[in-house]
Amino acid sequence: MKKAFILFFILPLFSFSVHKYYISLTEIEYKEETQSVQMIMNVFIDDIETAINKDYNVDLQLTTKRESKKVDDHFFNYLKEHFIVKINNQNVIYRFIGKEYDGDIVYFYLEIDNILSLKSIEIQNNVLIKHFSGQQNLIKASIKKERKSLFLDKKNDKGLLKF
Amino acid sequence: MKKNILFVFSIFFMATSVFAQNTQKRTKEGHKNQNKFRQLKDVLATPNNQHTASGAPGKAYSQQKVDYTMDIVLNDNKQKITGNETITYHNNSEDELTYLWVQLDQNVRASDSKTPDISSGKIPKKLSKNRFDRAFPEESFDGGFKITSVSNADGSKLSYTINQTMMRINLLKPLASGETFKFSINWWYNINNHRTLGGRSGFEHFPKDGNNNYVIAQFYPRMCVYDNVEGWQNDQFWGRSEFALEFGDFNVNITVPADHMLGATGVLQNEKEVLSSKELKRLATARKTYDNPVIIRTQKEAEEIEQNRSNKTKTWQFQAKNVRDYAFATSRKFIWDAMAVDINGKNVMAYSLYSKEANPLYGEHSTRAVAQTLKTYSKYTFDYPYHKAISVDGQMGMEYPQICFNPGRPNADGTYSDRTKYRMIKVTIHEVGHNFFPMIVNSDERQWTWMDEGLNSYMEMLAELDYDKNFPITRGYPKNIVKYMSGDQSKIAPIMSKGDNVYSFGNNAYGKPATALWILRETIMGKELFDHAFATYSKRWKFKHPTPADFFRSMEDASAMDLDWFWRGWFYSTDVTDIGVKGVKKFYTHKNSDGSVSFNEDTASGLGYSKKHSKYHYEITYNKPGGLVMPIIVQFTYKDGTKEKKTYPAQIWRYNDKEISKVFSSDKEIENITIDPDLETADVDTSNNSWPKKTTTKFDKFKNKIKG
Repeated sequence: MKKAFILFFILPLFSFSVHKYYISLTEIEYKEETQSVQMIMNVFIDDIETAINKDYNVDLQLTTKRESKKVDDHFFNYLKEHFIVKINNQNVIYRFIGKEYDGDIVYFYLEIDNILSLKSIEIQNNVLIKHFSGQQNLIKASIKKERKSLFLDKKNDKGLLKF
Repeated sequence: MKKNILFVFSIFFMATSVFAQNTQKRTKEGHKNQNKFRQLKDVLATPNNQHTASGAPGKAYSQQKVDYTMDIVLNDNKQKITGNETITYHNNSEDELTYLWVQLDQNVRASDSKTPDISSGKIPKKLSKNRFDRAFPEESFDGGFKITSVSNADGSKLSYTINQTMMRINLLKPLASGETFKFSINWWYNINNHRTLGGRSGFEHFPKDGNNNYVIAQFYPRMCVYDNVEGWQNDQFWGRSEFALEFGDFNVNITVPADHMLGATGVLQNEKEVLSSKELKRLATARKTYDNPVIIRTQKEAEEIEQNRSNKTKTWQFQAKNVRDYAFATSRKFIWDAMAVDINGKNVMAYSLYSKEANPLYGEHSTRAVAQTLKTYSKYTFDYPYHKAISVDGQMGMEYPQICFNPGRPNADGTYSDRTKYRMIKVTIHEVGHNFFPMIVNSDERQWTWMDEGLNSYMEMLAELDYDKNFPITRGYPKNIVKYMSGDQSKIAPIMSKGDNVYSFGNNAYGKPATALWILRETIMGKELFDHAFATYSKRWKFKHPTPADFFRSMEDASAMDLDWFWRGWFYSTDVTDIGVKGVKKFYTHKNSDGSVSFNEDTASGLGYSKKHSKYHYEITYNKPGGLVMPIIVQFTYKDGTKEKKTYPAQIWRYNDKEISKVFSSDKEIENITIDPDLETADVDTSNNSWPKKTTTKFDKFKNKIKG
C-alpha cells in the first residue's frame, strides 16, 4: 500500500524555473460614498485557463490572438459558481466590471451596488481548488479603515468577517 | 539652505532625548542589541584563511579534485544503463581521511527510499484515470543503483556501507593530506520514465514511433564534497535540495544505438567516427556562423532515422576538463542545430538537440536563447570558460555542465502562443545560466538553494531583457513578490533555510532572492557599484565553493556599502516592507528683530497654505508598519505639476524603527506626496503611500479606463 501512495508525490522538477505556487488574492473594499463594495481578485492565467477549459470543455487560448471572444462570460460564469458572497447575511450578486492581464496574472474587477451599510461579509471561495488541491485563496477586506483577512483552502473554503 | 535647517532640527532632537533620559531614575531592565543595523557578526561564520573576512578565498583555500574515467552502455530496448567508473580522488585538504563518501542519487527511486515516507498524504475524492494508474501502478518501478562491485585499483574488493543515497568507502589505511586514492565501481540501473514518474533525468517515450528520448544525469556514483565548511557534505538526497560536487576531469565513453544523435558534457574526441561527413561539413560551417543557427541534422533526416532501428552500436568518446558533473542526452529523434558565439574573441558553440515534436519552437528560439545567455552572463560575471552549451528538448528544466534539459513544445499544427514561446525561452536562459551558478561558481545546492537559484534567477532577468527588451518578466520585479511576502506568515520561511524544508519553494529560493538582488542593484547600491561587486564575487569564486557569507561579504567589501541590515531583513527574516506617510505639518518663517527666525504653523487643512510665502517648510512624519528597514523613496508633486524625487537611505530608521519625522523645504507649494511611486521596494500595502490620502482606488481607475 505504501508504494501506491508514493506516487501522489511524484518528485517534482524543482529546477524548473517556472516554479508554481497556488494562491489567489481577493481585495475587498467598501466605498461609503458610492455605497458599493469593490472587489479585485487576481489568479494565475494558466491555472484559471486550465480550470475553465476542463470544466466547460472550451479552449480559451488566453492572451493570444486566438483568445475566445466569450472569455469574459466564461470568467464570470466560473466566478459565480466558485466565488459566493453574502453581505449582512444576505446573498448578493456582483457585477463583472472587467479583467486585466499583467504578466502571468489576471485581475478580475467585481462590484456590488446598493450596500447602505456593511456589518458582515461572508465569502465562499473555492476558485481553482478542484483542479489544484494545494490552492490557497486569500481574502483581504478593508472596511471603514478596519482590515481583516481570511485564508481559504480545500479544507475550509468559507469564512465570515464581521465589522 | 535646506541642509542647514535639517542639521538644526537634528541637534534639537538629540538634546531633548538626553534630557528625557536624565529625568528617568527608576532602575530598568536592560536589553540586548536589537537594532536592525547591528552587524551580522554573530550570525556569519567566523572568517578564516580559507574563507576570508573580505569574502574572497584565502591563502589556505583548498578543495578536493575528483577525476572520473567511465564506460557507459545504454540499452534502449530495456531502458537500462550499465556503467563502470574509476575514480581518482585527490585529497588536497590538510586533513587525513579515514573514509570517503559517494552519492547514490538514483536511490531516491529505490524500493526502500525514504523520500515517500516523509511526505504526508490523504485519499482524494476522485482521480483521473491517468493519475490513478500512476498512483496505483500494476507493478512498481524497480529504481535505484544496483552496485555490482566496488574495488581497489588492483581489483581487490573494497569495503563499503550504503546508507540510503550515500555510500561510505571504508579505507584500509587513512588517506593522508596530498595523497591520491584510486578505486572502481560497477553498477546498473533501470531508467525512469520522467514524464510519468518524474525526476531530474530519465526518458520520454513516444508511442507513435516507439522511440525514446533519453536525458541522462545522476547516472553514476559521484563523490561528495569534503571541505572545512560542512566536513563531508553527505546530507541525504530527498529529491528536492540538489547537489554539492567537486571539480575534476572526465574521460567518458558512451555506447548507444548506432543511429542515435548524442550530446554530452565535454569535448567530443571521435567526431569522425560518430558523425556523417555531411554533418561534419555543416558543423564546420556552424563554427564560423554567428548570426543564425546552422542545421546539422535536419528534421527530414531525423524523421527518416526514427523510422528504423539499428542493432549496431556506436561509442561516443568525450573529455571534459574542470567540470563538477556529467550529463548526456541521446535519441534517434534528435534534430541538431548549432551557432558560434563570440565571447570576447573566444569561440563558444551554442547547440540545440530536439525532436520534431518540439519544432519549429526549438528551431526558432532555442539556440538563440543559449547564445544570448552566454553573452549576457559573460558580461556581468566572467567569460564563459567552456567550449559549448547545449539545450535539449528534455521536457523538464534541469541543468548540468555544458548541457541542460528544457521544456516547451508547439501545438500539433506547429503553431505556438507567445506564452509557450516566452516560457520556453525563459527556462532555456535559466538552465543555460546555471552553467555560471552553480556549475562554475560552485555553491552547495544541498544546503542553500537560493545561492544558485536566486543568483541565477536574477541574472536570467538581465539576459531576458537583452534577448527582447519587452520580455514578459514574471519574476524578480519587486511588485511581483508582494503577494508572496504579504501572505500567510505561517507558510513563509526565511531565504536562509534549507531547500528541503521551505514552503513555496519557488518564491522562497528563486523569486525573493532574485527580487532582493534586483532591489540592491536598482534602488540601494546603484548599477555601477552592484555590477562591480557581483562580478567580483563571481570571479573570486569561479571553480570554487562559496558560502553565503562569501557572497554577503564580497558584495560589501567591493562596494563600501554596509548591507548587513539588508541581508538580515531580506535573507534571515520573513519581514515585509510597508512604509507610509502618517501626517504632514506646514510651516512658514518669520524673521524676528534680534535676527532669529520663528517657524509658524499653517493649520489650513490638506497640503495647501492659506497664504503665499517665499519658502514652504513641511514636517513630514513617515511611519513603518513593516518590519523591514528600507530606503524611503518620496516623490513630491508641486502645484505647477513638476515633480521631485528624494531617497532617504534605510539608515534613517536607525534610531526609531517605527516612525520618523523629516523636514522638506521648497520654494514651491507641494500638492501631493507619494512614497515609492515606481514600486521599487515591494511595499505590501500602498494604501498609506500617498498624502493627501488617495481616494480614487485601483478599482475606480480601472473602471474609468474601460469606460474610455
